[in-house]
Amino acid sequence: MIRHTNELAENVSAKVRQLDLARSRVYECQRRVNDILDLQLCSEGVAMALCNEDYEQGAAHVHRYLSMDQQLLERTAEDILMDHTNVSSSLITLQQAALQLRTVVTHKFDEAVKSEDLASVERFFKIFPLLGMHIEGLKKFCSYLCTKLQETAQKNLKAALEIKSNDKRASVIFSDTMTLLFEGIARIVEIHQPIIETYYGPGRLLMTISILQKECDRQVKKIIAEFMKHRCISKKVQIVNDYIRKPSSERADPKEFDLLLGEITIMHSRAELYIRFLKRRVKNDIEISVTNDAQYKDLINEFKSMINNSDLAHGMQELLGAYLALERYFLEESVNKALGMDTLDQDQQTSSMVDDVFFIVQKCIRRSMSSWSIDGVCAVVNMACGILEGEFANRLRNRLRQGYPAGYLDLAQAYSTLQTSIQHGRLQTSDTELARLMFLAYLNNTDVSIEYVETLCKSLSSEIDATFPNMQNKERGKIDSCLSGLKGVMSILRAVNDYGLEQLRVSAVKPRVTPWVDAFLSVDHHINEDDLLRYETEEPFVQTLIMNLEGLLQNFKGTLTPSNYDALIGLLTTEVTARLEKVVLKSTFNRAGGLILDKEIRSLASYLAAVTSWSVRDKFARLTQIATILSVEKIEELADYCGADAIAWRLTPAEVRRIASMRIDFRPEDVKRLKL
Amino acid sequence: MEDYKFLFKVVLVGNAGVGKTCLVRRFTQGLFPPGQGATIGVDFMIKTVEVENEKVKLQIWDTAGQERFRSITQSYYRSAHALILVYDISCQPTFDCLPDWLREIEEYASNKVLRILVGNKIDREDREIPTHVGEDFAQRHGMYFLETSAKEAENVERLFMEIAAELMEQARSKELPRYETNTTSINGKTTSIGDTSNCGCSRLS
Ligand SMILES: Nc1nc2c(ncn2[C@@H]2O[C@H](COP(=O)(O)OP(=O)(O)OP(=O)(O)O)[C@@H](O)[C@H]2O)c(=O)[nH]1
Ligand SMILES: [Mg+2]
Repeated sequence: MIRHTNELAENVSAKVRQLDLARSRVYECQRRVNDILDLQLCSEGVAMALCNEDYEQGAAHVHRYLSMDQQLLERTAEDILMDHTNVSSSLITLQQAALQLRTVVTHKFDEAVKSEDLASVERFFKIFPLLGMHIEGLKKFCSYLCTKLQETAQKNLKAALEIKSNDKRASVIFSDTMTLLFEGIARIVEIHQPIIETYYGPGRLLMTISILQKECDRQVKKIIAEFMKHRCISKKVQIVNDYIRKPSSERADPKEFDLLLGEITIMHSRAELYIRFLKRRVKNDIEISVTNDAQYKDLINEFKSMINNSDLAHGMQELLGAYLALERYFLEESVNKALGMDTLDQDQQTSSMVDDVFFIVQKCIRRSMSSWSIDGVCAVVNMACGILEGEFANRLRNRLRQGYPAGYLDLAQAYSTLQTSIQHGRLQTSDTELARLMFLAYLNNTDVSIEYVETLCKSLSSEIDATFPNMQNKERGKIDSCLSGLKGVMSILRAVNDYGLEQLRVSAVKPRVTPWVDAFLSVDHHINEDDLLRYETEEPFVQTLIMNLEGLLQNFKGTLTPSNYDALIGLLTTEVTARLEKVVLKSTFNRAGGLILDKEIRSLASYLAAVTSWSVRDKFARLTQIATILSVEKIEELADYCGADAIAWRLTPAEVRRIASMRIDFRPEDVKRLKL
Repeated sequence: MEDYKFLFKVVLVGNAGVGKTCLVRRFTQGLFPPGQGATIGVDFMIKTVEVENEKVKLQIWDTAGQERFRSITQSYYRSAHALILVYDISCQPTFDCLPDWLREIEEYASNKVLRILVGNKIDREDREIPTHVGEDFAQRHGMYFLETSAKEAENVERLFMEIAAELMEQARSKELPRYETNTTSINGKTTSIGDTSNCGCSRLS
């Protein structure tokens, strides 16, 4: 039973299969019949349309014929033996008619172009694809667009060359002309892309743009050539390069390049903008017309290499090269000028060079950014690093190397100094005073420059992000690396600042602090109980010291920048505490003397803590501990102070013993016996 | 913090087409790129290598040899720690241009820069510059010398590793005096400022 059913089922399905086959044969047959009928219709239709000059109609027939399966058609012609001649002749008529139509349409298109008959140009442009002439049609149409482009561009360039020198746009006339060209092409693409897409299908933009780009290249070359000639670029670059090699040769005023540099960056940025526009358009067009990734990549690469190898790209690279050579000169010469004209105004903490130099540096880097070239920005940042680390830092360092004239001590005493100086036939006070002021100004210059560099780096970073929103990783890396070079300038300037502060310490701090602190040695530290109270309230040693320090600091307070002033207090504190430790260790004390010392050190520490925003506690650690030892009541207490759990204890056991032995009331054998 | 102890900038220069980009890609990516197009402006690659158990980060700047990029590429000389000057052993003109390149280096690079002369493409049969000629040139101008093939990966690794090792050596030997000058003794007299500052300055310059 089951076997029977199986057989039955197989029989049925075999029949069904046969039926299917038969049905598809019927379909094919019907299609062939339709094709043959259409073929006859088409071949008659084309002839008729040609006669009537109804090219659209004729093209529609050809289009119908082209949409038939050509091989099948040939086979049909062979199969239907008796009608053989009939079908074949229709085919031949049609093929001939199509050929004729192609020739006629091509000819008509050319004629329309020649007579500037825009309507006909568009009419025949739309017919080409129906005749399977996509590529020819597009080529012809694009070269028509190119002639239009050329006409306008030549007119614009001619007008540009005739511009009066007092015209507002005269200084940017070439970038204006270039902009017009790019805008013209962009407009052509805007207008014609939809028509091309409608009649030729998507994916035709790359070819369109490649053809237009050829014309763009020719026009850009002409504009650049005129620009080079009229702005004397080669000569200027030559002068600049010669000057950098041999500074004695002919030199130009950097200001003269200002407008020119601006014009070049505009040209470059317009070209960038134009290329970005093309890229966006082409990318979109490729995206909608391509199905696989490999094809997409190939086409994108084709576009990229088309642009990279274009005269436009090469021309822009030449311009960028000239720009950088001139910008470098502008930067270096302007900075040198600013250094040469440095002046110090009264009541200013810094001299004019700092603001001037950073203004120039910022201006140049900003300008490079307006070129929209990442390589350009990187190069100018590199140049800026060079000049800041070189001439600029050297100037600061050289001034600081001359030192802070110490001979007589501060500006307040300058008048009393006058007499003595003259008597000794040495420096004139005004010179010395000026030298001091200049030294302090340069110390401030250095400090402020560090801040400026930091601010510059930050602002550039965000401006670059805004200018180049879609930067690739590689370019990001380039920019970041160049900017970190600029940040590196900070550490060089910091070293210069440290060096200046060291100069200040050597000549203005140390020689004065030493005698003030050494006064400690002439004070008696064996104080009887009766004098204790008086000493405690008067603190004769430390109050005099504080007064002297106050006098010293007053002279610098308004003159130094806050951070330099803090640094000065820092090194003053180091100097005072180190010296004081030395003299304390040369003295002997009774307990009352120790207590007074302890109190005086606290007063000193709190005075210094009050005048600076930094902590001075650390610098006082050893002194405070020495005073603690010298002021204990019983020697046994020391074990608690410097026990193992005293974390911040700075003194070694040997030092503790030595200090304890400075207490005249401690017996040497007790000191020796101390367990530490 | 990135994980490296030293960072060095290496800049490659030399005529267009001598194989700078291929050398860099061979070293950084281990491949010989087919149909390598001319470099535009400068290219930038990073590779961290290990020398004597220390991580050394090499920042490699591959410059374009074509003349019109000169203003861009020159701006990278100044901060370079090492400059690799490349010529093509099968192309006499690229060797003949070396003096011009040296002049550029003289003009823009730091005088302390490590300079290496490299004759590339030794896999080629049509050699025009014998090894000893390149060697002589390098010696006369105080440069290291090496012949390479980016194609056959010959001496490429060695080139960069030796540069890394040499630069590390230099950096280490510089570290010591740097701290010594810091503790220059100061004698309170003002007249001595000039003298003390000299010591301080060798650290700064
Ligand atoms: N036979 C051989 N060919 C090489 C070698 N290195 C590079 N080439 C070829 O030389 C040509 C130029 O190589 P690139 O690396 O682009 O040269 P480049 O110095 O970077 O050139 P620019 O970027 O224009 O300065 C390419 O066709 C490479 O295939 C090599 O070692 N042997
Ligand atoms: Mg290259």
